[in-house]
Formats: sequence, C-alpha cells, structure tokens
Amino acid sequence: MIGGLSFAFANPAILAALIALPVIWWLLRMTPPRPAAEVFPPLRILASVMKREETPSKSPWWLTLLRMLMATAVILAIADPVFNPRSNTLATSGPLALMIDNSWATAPDWERRVEAASALIDDAEAKDLAVSIVFTGERQHDATPGSAGTARNRLAAAGPEPLPADRRSAIAALQAAFKDAPPGTIAFITDSIEAPDGKTMAALAAIRAGGLRVIEADGSEAVALTDTSNESSGMSVTATRLKTDDRRTLSVVAYDTRGRAIANGAIDFTPGAATAKGTIEAPFELRNDFARIGIDGLSTAGATHLLDDGFRRRRVALLSGEARDLSQPLLSPLYYINRALVPYADLVEPRETDLAVAIPELLEQRPSVLIMADIGRLPEETYPVLAKWIDNGGTLIRFAGPRLAAAPADDPLVPVTLRQGERALGGALSWSEPQPLADYPANSPFAGMPRPTDILVKRQVLAEPTADLAERTWANLADGTPLVTTATRGAGRIILFHVSAEATWSNLPISGHFVEMLRRSVQLSRSGGIASEGKAVKAQTLPPYRLLNAHGLLVAETGNARPLNVAPGKEPLATPDNPPGLYGSEDGFTALNVLPRNAELKRMDMVAAGPHVAERLAGAESWSLKPALMTLALLLLLADAVIVLFMSGVFSRVKRASATAATLLLLVLAGAALLPSPPALADDTRPDDARILERLDTTHLAYVVTGEEDVDRLSENGLKGLTDFLTYRTTLEPGAPVGLDIAKDELSFYPIIYWPISASAPMPNPQAVSRIDAYMRAGGTVLFDTRDQFSSLGASSGGTSPNAERLQAILANLDIPPLEPVPADHVLTKAFYLLTNFPGRYAGSPLWIEATFDNREEPSNRPARSGDGVTPIMITGNDFAGAWAVDANGAALLPTVPPDEMQREYAYRSGVNIMMYMLTGNYKADQVHVPALLERLGQ
Amino acid sequence: MASIGHIVARTPSGEVLSRAQQRAMLVPDCLVEARRIANTVISGWHGRRKRGIGENFWQFRPYSEGESLSRIDWRRSAKDDHTYVRDREWEAAHTIWLWADLSPSMMYKSTLGAVSKESRALVLMLALAEILARSGERIGCPGVMEPVSARNAAERLATAIMLSPLAEGLPETGMIRGASDLVLIGDFLDPADEVMERLGPLARRGLHGHVVEIADPAEEVFPYAGRTEFTDPETGEKLTAGRAEILREDYQRAYRARRDSLGESLRHLGWTFIPHRTDRPASEALVAVHMYLSGMPTRATHGGLR
Repeated sequence: MIGGLSFAFANPAILAALIALPVIWWLLRMTPPRPAAEVFPPLRILASVMKREETPSKSPWWLTLLRMLMATAVILAIADPVFNPRSNTLATSGPLALMIDNSWATAPDWERRVEAASALIDDAEAKDLAVSIVFTGERQHDATPGSAGTARNRLAAAGPEPLPADRRSAIAALQAAFKDAPPGTIAFITDSIEAPDGKTMAALAAIRAGGLRVIEADGSEAVALTDTSNESSGMSVTATRLKTDDRRTLSVVAYDTRGRAIANGAIDFTPGAATAKGTIEAPFELRNDFARIGIDGLSTAGATHLLDDGFRRRRVALLSGEARDLSQPLLSPLYYINRALVPYADLVEPRETDLAVAIPELLEQRPSVLIMADIGRLPEETYPVLAKWIDNGGTLIRFAGPRLAAAPADDPLVPVTLRQGERALGGALSWSEPQPLADYPANSPFAGMPRPTDILVKRQVLAEPTADLAERTWANLADGTPLVTTATRGAGRIILFHVSAEATWSNLPISGHFVEMLRRSVQLSRSGGIASEGKAVKAQTLPPYRLLNAHGLLVAETGNARPLNVAPGKEPLATPDNPPGLYGSEDGFTALNVLPRNAELKRMDMVAAGPHVAERLAGAESWSLKPALMTLALLLLLADAVIVLFMSGVFSRVKRASATAATLLLLVLAGAALLPSPPALADDTRPDDARILERLDTTHLAYVVTGEEDVDRLSENGLKGLTDFLTYRTTLEPGAPVGLDIAKDELSFYPIIYWPISASAPMPNPQAVSRIDAYMRAGGTVLFDTRDQFSSLGASSGGTSPNAERLQAILANLDIPPLEPVPADHVLTKAFYLLTNFPGRYAGSPLWIEATFDNREEPSNRPARSGDGVTPIMITGNDFAGAWAVDANGAALLPTVPPDEMQREYAYRSGVNIMMYMLTGNYKADQVHVPALLERLGQ
Repeated sequence: MASIGHIVARTPSGEVLSRAQQRAMLVPDCLVEARRIANTVISGWHGRRKRGIGENFWQFRPYSEGESLSRIDWRRSAKDDHTYVRDREWEAAHTIWLWADLSPSMMYKSTLGAVSKESRALVLMLALAEILARSGERIGCPGVMEPVSARNAAERLATAIMLSPLAEGLPETGMIRGASDLVLIGDFLDPADEVMERLGPLARRGLHGHVVEIADPAEEVFPYAGRTEFTDPETGEKLTAGRAEILREDYQRAYRARRDSLGESLRHLGWTFIPHRTDRPASEALVAVHMYLSGMPTRATHGGLR
C-alpha cells in the first residue's frame, strides 16, 4: 500500500524502466540525425534551388512531451497499478470477531460495508478461523463464533436500521462470547459516530483481542436533521454532521404527505462546525402541509425529519356575544379575528345564536382553539362542558368588552380575577392618557416581536393584582397593567385579551401585531381534535402508524415495533422497540425521529482504542489501471500519427487539390441553404379524404343502410324532410342525409345515426355491431326505430314483433345502459320545443333513453334534470322517418296514423328536439335557469 | 565531419598591406589608359607641363581676339601696352575609387580556398592602391577616404580602413564626383537585379567601373554531401538539406547563371566584370584589373573559370 491510497503496482520492478525516460527523451529530440552545420554565404541561391523546406531538425517540444507521455503510460501499464489490493493479515491466534454498525448512517454505503465484511470473512475462511459477527443496530446479539458460512448468511440477512448504533449491548455480547479465549482479530466496521456514553473504543480494547482493526468511511454522508422550528419567515431546520472539516452546503427539501417536494432551503456548514441551521422559506399556509424534511441527495433515516401534526392548521371556533350583523361588519368583534386568522387556521362558527346550543355544537367539531369575543356570561350548563374541553387540552382565547366588564367576578373561565367594570384611559373625565404597549415579557410567546409603538389602548378591563400575575402576563401596557394574561387549566389554557376585539377600545385589532399575537397564541394550542368528553390523557400509548426505513422512506409495515409511550415533558427516543416513524393513527400522530432534538454527531475517539489498525472503507474489489493506461497510450499513438501526418503536410496537399472543388461545393451548399426551399411534407392523402372533409364541413344526418331498398329510401327521404325542417326552423343547417354501411363507413362524423329496424333485412355481422358499440362508447348516439308501434315495445302487447325481436338480437351484442322512457323533466322535452311525447307516424310508443338515477328520490323543484352527457341510445317504435319523409316537392310521403297533420308537426318537433339534444347536451338543461339567473343579476 | 567553410576573423590591415605591397611589386606601374583619361595619366604627379584648368599659374599669354574679356589679367596688362591672359597649369588628375565589400559573408573561407574572401579583397584593394599611387593617380575610398594623390596612398588607405571600417554592402557614393574610375571588390551574392539597381545610377553618372567578384571555391563547386544544415552568415537563416549532393548540379547551374547575368548586365553598362576565386593567386585578379584600367582588355588571366 502506498500511503492512505489503496494503490499498488503488481510489477513494481517495471517502474525502473522510467529511468529510461530521459534517454527516450534524448533519442526523440535527436532524430532526425543532427545535420552537418555549414556556413554558406550564397544561401539565397541555394534556397532558390531547394524544392521545399526540410522538416525542422527538432520535433516540437509538445510532440516530444506527447511521446514521453505515451512511453510513461506504457511503462505504467506494464507495471500494472492496482487499486485496493487486498492482503490477508488476520491474526491466527483466535477467531475473527466482526462488529458491524448497521445504524442509519450506514445506509448509503451499506453495500461497501458488506463487501468489506465479506472480504474479511473470506480471509478468515482462508485461514480456517471461526467468525463471530454482531450488528450494533439489532435487538439481540449472538456473538458465538461460528463457521464462515453462518456469518455470511447473517451478513446477508442484515441491513441498515433506521436507528443510532447501540454498541454497548453488542460489546457486552462479544465480551461474554470471548470471556475465556480472546479473539485473534476484532474488526469493527463502524459509522464513526460516537455513542452517547463515549466509551465504545475503550470497551472494545478491553476485550484484549490479538488485533483491533477499525474500518470506517469518511463520514461525509452522516448528516442528520435534528430539529425544526417555525419562525416568522420560514421553517428553521437544524442539522448536524460528522465530517466537520470542510465547507458544505446542503439543500433541504420539505415534502408533503404524498411525498411531493413543496419547498426547499439550504443549510451552510462552515468549516469545523458540526451543526448548522438553515431556513426553508415558505408561506405559513404551505408550511402547514410539510410532513417531512429531507436532505436532497441523502436518503438516510437521519437525514429525514418527520413532522407531526403539531404543525398542522388549527381548527378555531369563533363565538361572539352579539348577534352577527352583516350590514355593519367593522363593528363586529369577530370580523377582525376572522380576518387575522383566516390564513392560518380553519375557522368554524356556530349556526345557532343560542349559546347553549352553539357551544356544544362547536365543541363537537373538536376545535383546538375557541375564541370568545366579549361574552360575559355563558349559560350555566355549558361551563362544565367548556371546562372539560379546556382540561383536555383546548385553548380558550377571550376578548374583553362591555359584557365581560359587566360580568360577575366569579367567572371560572378567565385567567385572572378581574375587577368589575372597565378602566377608561384618556376620557373627558380622566387625567390619564391612552397607553401604548410595553416590551413583551421574556416568558411571553410574543417575545421577539418588536414593541409596537403605534398601538394605543383607551379602555381595558383590569386584573386584580396577585402574586403570580406577572408571570401569567404575556403583554403589558406601558403603565404595567396587563394586556394579555393567561392561565393553564389541565392540559389546556385560557388566554384573555383585556381589550375588545374591535377597534373601539384600542387600535390593537387593526394593527399587524394583532395578527401576529393571535397567530402565536393559536400556534401554542394543541392540534388534533380535542374532545370535550372523556378524561384528560396524561400519558398516552400510541401504536406505530408509519415507520421510517433506513433509507428515509415512510413505510406502512410496522414489523415488531411496539407502541410508543408518550408522556408529556419527556421526549421519546428511537430504540429498536420504537423505531423512528409516526405513531398514532391517520387522524393524529406523533413523530419520532432518529436523533433526539438538538443531538450532535461526534466522531469516535480512536485514542481510547489503543493500538489498532485504521482502514478506510474501500470497495472490496481491486481493479487494475492497466487497460485504462493501455487505452491512453493507444490514443496518444493515434494522436501522434495524426499530428505527424499534419506536420508533413499530407492534409494541406489534399486540401489544395480539392480546394477548388470544396469551394464550389460550399458555394452550392450555401446557395441551396439560402434559397427558400418548400417544406417537405409527407404525402398522407387518402383516396376518400375529400369525402371525409365534406362530411366534416357540415353536420349531416345519417342513417343505417339496412339493405332493403324501400326502407333505405324511406330513411333517406325522412332525414331529408327533417333536414329541411331543421334548416327552416333552427340555426342548424345540416347537409344532405348520408346512408351508412356500418360495417365499413367511418361513423364518428355523425352526432346521431338513425337505424330503422327491419326484420327482413340481413342481420348485421358482429364486427359491424361492435363498431356501433365503439361509436356509442365514444359519444355517439344511435336512434333505433322499430316502426311497429302497433305491436309495440310496450308491455301492453301480447308478443313481440319481428322488428322488436331483431332489435333485441342486435342489442344483445351491445353494451347498453339501463333504459327508461323519457321522463317528463328530461332535457329532451325542452331542448327546443316543449314536448310531452315524441310521435312519429305512430304516436303510441314511448321514446326510450338511458336511465338517469341521480336525485331521483330527492324532491326537486328544478324544471329540468341535470346530467352530464347525452344518452348513447334511443329506441322508439313510432317510425320517425315515415313521418318526416317528403318527396322532391316537399309533400309528405306517408300519412300519419291517425291522419293528423299536427302529429306530423310534432314528429318534426321531436326530431328537432332530438337533434338539439344531440348537439347541445345538457347545456339546454342549464338554460332553464336563465330566468332565475337574470332575476338574481338584476338584484 | 569537419565543416568545409568557416567564418574567419577580420584580417589585420598591416598584414594585408604588406601582402598587398608584395603583390604590387610584381605588377608594373599602372598606366591608366590614355584614351579615356585624356592626358591626365601621363601627367600624374610628374606634371602636365601644359596650360589648362588648374589652380597653379602656368603662363601669361597675349590676348587674342574673340577670347572672353573676363579672362584678361588686368594687373599684368597694366604693366605695359599689351593685354595678357593668365593661363593656369592643367592639374586635373584622374581619380580612382577603390572599394571592398567587408560584409560577414566575405569572412568566409573554406578548406578549398587559400584565404578568406575578405582577406583577398583587401589585398586586392591595397595592391591596386599601391600600383595606382605609384603611377600618380588619386586614390579614394568612398565613405572612408577622400581621394589623395600621394606616394603612400596605400598605407593611408590601410590606415583609413583600420580607423573606419568599410560599410557593408555596396559603397556610399556620395563622395564620388565627376568622371572617375571605380573598382568594386566583393562577392556580389545578392541577386543580380539588386546589385544592378545600385550600380546602374553610378554608371549613368559617368563613372566607369570595374567589378571584381571574389568567390570561394566551395561556393562554386558545392562540395557538400549528406544531411547538411546551411547557415547564412549575414541573416543567420538556416536551411537543411537532407542530401546535399543531389542539389549540386542545380546549385552550380543557378550560381553560374547568376554570375553570367551579373557579368552581362555590367558589360551592358560598359563596366568590366572580373570573377576571381580565392584558391587562385591574387595577382591574377590584380593583373586583370590592371589591364582593364590600362585599357587592355584581356581574357587570358581571368582568375577563374572565365
């Protein structure tokens, strides 16, 4: 080995050839042979005689250097440099003891650690030594020396754990196993992070092994996020690292619950600093969505910081003593609170004005905070409910006001005892001036905010002085009277602002400080639903919900993690029993992170280990530089050849010969490039493109060609009659009707296809039917007309007609939705004309369409049913085409049954409505609201 | 392998001077061609004995009709009834400017050559000075020494060169006035066009030039082989030849082409061009220059291949 680099030459003797380099250099410089130097005055005459310049007597220095490099590369390649050469240096005096850290910091290079360990096991096997292997991240340790195969199996089964290394128990296991015969070698593949007790190496040295070998990585990946806190501009993130000697900038990313990166920031480590702070700048609303902070590019459990719902938006219930008056919002106290909290919290307000109903109703929604503005007395039965809720962790924020000032003094829901009545400052009968605010006390959550200078309090309620008033005060006036006081009740808290929540008593509610004070107060409250029933939870046990794996990902698999005991005031630690992750349930959970808050990573003290061999964790594979060097030499040789060719003028001669041709070619090319060339287009025209374009230009009515001439002619004439009617009555002007062969023709150009069913026509083949199916699925509509109202689809008839049987046969292969006759409130009845039925030549058959089930049972006063899309299928037996059919003169072809021209008119109207429904969908259903909309707009 | 060429130190002037005087003794007095220099050469320092343009009094002669009145010497004429004109002795001596290229490339000496090019160039220059001075010519060196007519002109030139070394490259010609001869000694390895660009204006000013190109034999025959890195001594530029022997043919061809084109261009100007190799005796070039100066073109003794 050479120094710290794992690097050696397989044949170091060859390196002696490097001595020959100066000789090679001299040789290279000498060739071509030195010419006889001659002074020759008539040199000009000689020059005119000589054909061309000889090559200079000396090759340029860079060419010599190139050749020297080539020679060096060849010599080095033959010497065969090898990276990470391995040598078996295990002591044979006893078994090999392997202690492997599989903590969170080993996750990025775990493969290399496994390779290093398996190389050691191979060495032990080669020397016929037993192997004892322990992993510091595991719960139980079995340090009994075993065969190399067993150790290999255990190594393969182990993986990095999202936990700090627990070395004490592992060393204890080793000590127990090697009580009698010390091991020959202890190999400690470590993450270099010192355990909290700091005695790892001393304990290892105490085993008195034949040799101690410590294998460690450089620790640059051991970076952990230890703390986060919300600050005014963003979220502050604290990170600690193991390798402290360099400057490092890490990018931290905040992820939401779905793992999407939603914000990022940077942490700058100065050289020598083990901890650093960074900020993720994000608006408060966005910060509520943070679920996890990670370091970009480092996927370890330590580099992931889980956030629990302590960061979530709070639900805040608002309660006011006065009835809400919408016409004068600026006088309503809730108005200011509402405006201040809307960006930060979910606000709920009571529906009922009766407080006896409103308070239980609000508490039912499990708010974190209840804000009561100027409420003096609550109904008697609500006090225990509220007190219970506060005990369970609720936060009650109260604002003073005339009602509170007039309330009796024994109100249990104020933090301090209040004097009756309020104190007016700066009135006509008062000497005192309106008071500004003093600096916020240090124990106040408002500490850190600048002292507001522009706030003047004109009126307030006063607290009776008590011994602990000062420490329960969060804000004072300049004369020392408290402005905000607080008291904890059970797990909850009561906060009282001694001024009113609207601008009559002070201008606090209209200043930015009001927003910030409210935000901080709300942020103090407990998140998650706080119920008013049940008893207060002192210490709770939370089941594992999502656990962090070693690569910093949350997984649902909880393994044999045990429930986490959360006691107030005690931070839980990640242990093998409680691996880091989220504990609780979907509704509310507590995050447990790998490292405790504000932990610091320290490097292990290697001095305590005594004499030991320190090794770098290198990849176990040794690899040779020989091929690379040979390739380099070959490339240099090629470059040299090209250079020599250039210098001897080969290319220039070629160039000169072809210069004219090249110039000509260039000119031609430039000309071609400058000329505007027509864009090359692929010729993708199809034979019937013109027909398709014609079909697309205007809307066409289409019918299915059944193959029976009289039926098809009638269909065409019928649709022609409807087309004329549509053109005459509506803005829709369809083109000539189109007969379709459903087996071949493209169907998707037509909004509706009329299909007269004829039992005597040939049955369409399955491919044609499946095309119809695809057409209907893609949004088209088929209007089936059995034309047999006399033996109609209705249940009244005894049997089914042949046409109906044929229809059934066709529909048997189609995926059709449930059907119903057109309901009276369907759009079809209102799409253009108001219709009640849809007659054709016959009037008896209903028109069947796709059934809509929504809002069927709910009472609705809407005149039309809404629903998206149009029905893909319509079935009638009324022979529409027969009623619509006209001849060339516009005269009707067939009489209606009964012969009633109004019925024909209605048949046309049915056709118009169907077409309008086809083309506009439920837009027409919305049109029925127009009068209501107009009426609303008018107001 | 020991290299063929070297850069050698500068040759001391004294040594060069003694060698130059030895060379000069072998060469007869230089009688510069009479045709070109009219009567001057024969006058030399031993007197022209003839009236002409000069500073010293020569004779009074009677005024003849038609002469410019301004030429009358009124002081002499006042003595008697005749009118006299003062004649002066013709003193216009011929000036020969000597110049040698001493740029770093000249310091070159190869194993094939006897001396360095610079040494040979100086020897040539001083020997010429010695000969010409013996003949009574005025010797000058552009940029270094004003023309003097003295018996010890060679010594003075050597001293002047020692005190103010010759400028590199082609000569500073500001000093050169009037028609005179110019002897340029160098290796002229710059491209022929550049050399001609400098020399052309001189020729148009009426100067008559003689260019001696000194070459080391190694530069001409290119005796190199194998991988060789060549360095330019002037610019320090380096050039490496993988196999130098395969370049020899091409190089020699280019070298001669340069020399031929230079020589041709100079002859077009009416100048003379004398290539000389350092493995040959200096006297060859000296004699050749002497011949040219004396107006006796020769082809026989070009100190080299041609």
